[in-house]
Amino acid sequence: MDTLTNILLGPVQATATWLGAMTPRLLAMVAFIVIGWALAAVMRRVTGRLLRATAFDQRCVRWGVTATLGRIGVREVPAVLLGHAVFWTILLVGLLMGVDALGVPAVTGVVATVLHYLPNLIVAGVILITGWVLANFLGQAALIGAVNAQVAGAPVIAGAVRWLVLVFAGAAVLTQLGIAREMVLLAFGIAFGGTVLALALAFGLGGKDLAREILESRLRKRNGDDHITHL
Amino acid sequence: MGAPLTATVLLTAESLAVVEAMGPLDVLVGVPVCNHARSIARLLEALAAGLQESVAPQRGALLVLNAGSQDDAGTAVRTWLAGAPAVPPVRWLEIATPRRGHALLALFAAAQALGVAACAFVDADLTGATPAWIPALVQPILEQTATCVLPVYTRPLSDGTLTTNLLAPVTRALYGKRVHEVIGGCAGVAPALAGTLLDHVWQADHSAGGVDLLLTTQAVATGATVAEARLGPKQVAGGWGQPDLATTLVRTVGALFGAMERFHERWDAVQGSVPLTPPAADGLLPPAPGAHVDRMVYAFRMGLKDLLPVWEQIMPEDTLADLYPLGVGPAEEFQFPGPVWARAVFDFALAFHDRRLPREHLLRALAPLYLGRAAAFLLEARGAAPAGFDFLLERVGRAFEEAKGDLRFRWR
Repeated sequence: MDTLTNILLGPVQATATWLGAMTPRLLAMVAFIVIGWALAAVMRRVTGRLLRATAFDQRCVRWGVTATLGRIGVREVPAVLLGHAVFWTILLVGLLMGVDALGVPAVTGVVATVLHYLPNLIVAGVILITGWVLANFLGQAALIGAVNAQVAGAPVIAGAVRWLVLVFAGAAVLTQLGIAREMVLLAFGIAFGGTVLALALAFGLGGKDLAREILESRLRKRNGDDHITHL
Repeated sequence: MGAPLTATVLLTAESLAVVEAMGPLDVLVGVPVCNHARSIARLLEALAAGLQESVAPQRGALLVLNAGSQDDAGTAVRTWLAGAPAVPPVRWLEIATPRRGHALLALFAAAQALGVAACAFVDADLTGATPAWIPALVQPILEQTATCVLPVYTRPLSDGTLTTNLLAPVTRALYGKRVHEVIGGCAGVAPALAGTLLDHVWQADHSAGGVDLLLTTQAVATGATVAEARLGPKQVAGGWGQPDLATTLVRTVGALFGAMERFHERWDAVQGSVPLTPPAADGLLPPAPGAHVDRMVYAFRMGLKDLLPVWEQIMPEDTLADLYPLGVGPAEEFQFPGPVWARAVFDFALAFHDRRLPREHLLRALAPLYLGRAAAFLLEARGAAPAGFDFLLERVGRAFEEAKGDLRFRWR
């Protein structure tokens, strides 16, 4: 009879013990998630207000960020996007802390790894955005400069400048994230060196006529407009 | 923000001491000089003679302001001084920041420090200056009939196309004054106006590159009494490193658009315009032959083809729809109607105000559009009789006045 009682009560006691041990952890997890969510919502609102107060959206229009986002189908303004980024980052941290609070050994290591990796992700994001803004700025400057110099194929030059900066930023992002660092450095070095060499050869051997045309066009322009004065 | 612009800030210590030792004066004339060693002596000769005609002995002085000369301009001035009469006094001054705009500001600051009744400046590259220029520029100020005297030159229509097609008509439409030369290279200025300009240049943290334009705008926008003086032909020698067209646009149109923001309340209330000087029969000459209109049209069409993604951020579809047909047809029949040009310029002003693009990019993107308009204007001028030259300019000015309503409506 005792044996049957033990058999019946054993699992109940074990479950009760497990529940006794887990309930505070579960509550802690729920608390982390709820607090994380609330904090994320508050910070999203604060971020939005701060960015609006500093005319961030107008600056993004000027820097060409809004137009670039529009071209890839993103319709929300950058301040809202950054607000979302802040919200999801804080919520993710809350979720990870909640999962960590459960004390499951297999998950604990993953959480620590993700939290350790988070700063790299943020820095990589900043590099990507900066590279993007810079690529658009320099691409636009190259386009206007080339058109004003009356160089044929100005959009191609502008596109080349833009992609060069984007590729450079992409390589920096991958290096920051530690993804195949050696391979990225090697590939970038080969690609960059190869491009420069190819351009040098193409311009020197195959592009003699183009070089002459550009030089003549510049000289013609200087001699050509001198029959009118602008001021 | 920096320190207030005074003679102490703008001049070197030695030059400041020279200014302070000059004693009481009625008229101060400044000549910003930069690599004009070959022409400066003749100009100083003419201006000194003009100064003697305008004021009593010892009551006028000439300042030669070194705006960054790399040649022997200083030696040329000293050589000339050795043989020149002691009256009027002529002094060579070094500028703390040797640039033309700073040289003008230094002159204004020196005029304030000395408490003169009138000051004037004449660019060292205006080699056609005669002694008559000085009384023409300073007399209205000494007689207190004007606070600013701007030049009017006898020029071919191919000269100053940026002035005649953009700077002057925009100034006319905005501020209601039909100024001929917005950036004339010389002017007579009352000390009060010079003082206001020094305050505003500082407060607005404005680049000194557009100081002339700022002077004109400040005068017409604030209701100062502006007069014009007919000075005859404008002959210009090299010297200043002539910037390329896009840089010229950044400096001049940038200053004009910048002033639109500062003086919005003033120009918003202005209707119509009044002439400052009646037209003269020989004021405008036929365009000089040799301007490469076909290349200017080519530059415009290249802009229309390749810069469209940038222009789309600046001009609305209505304006672009009027530009598209200009992309085809023979260059010698090219036309760019004044109303379309006026609307395009005001679209650029609005985009500048809204900061839709980096401002320097925006102003540089105007270059092909301007070349197109200049080409069309030259073609019109070539086909016009001399009696119709004034009408050509009047038509451009009126187009800008008519476009102002839309600008006023869209300006936020």
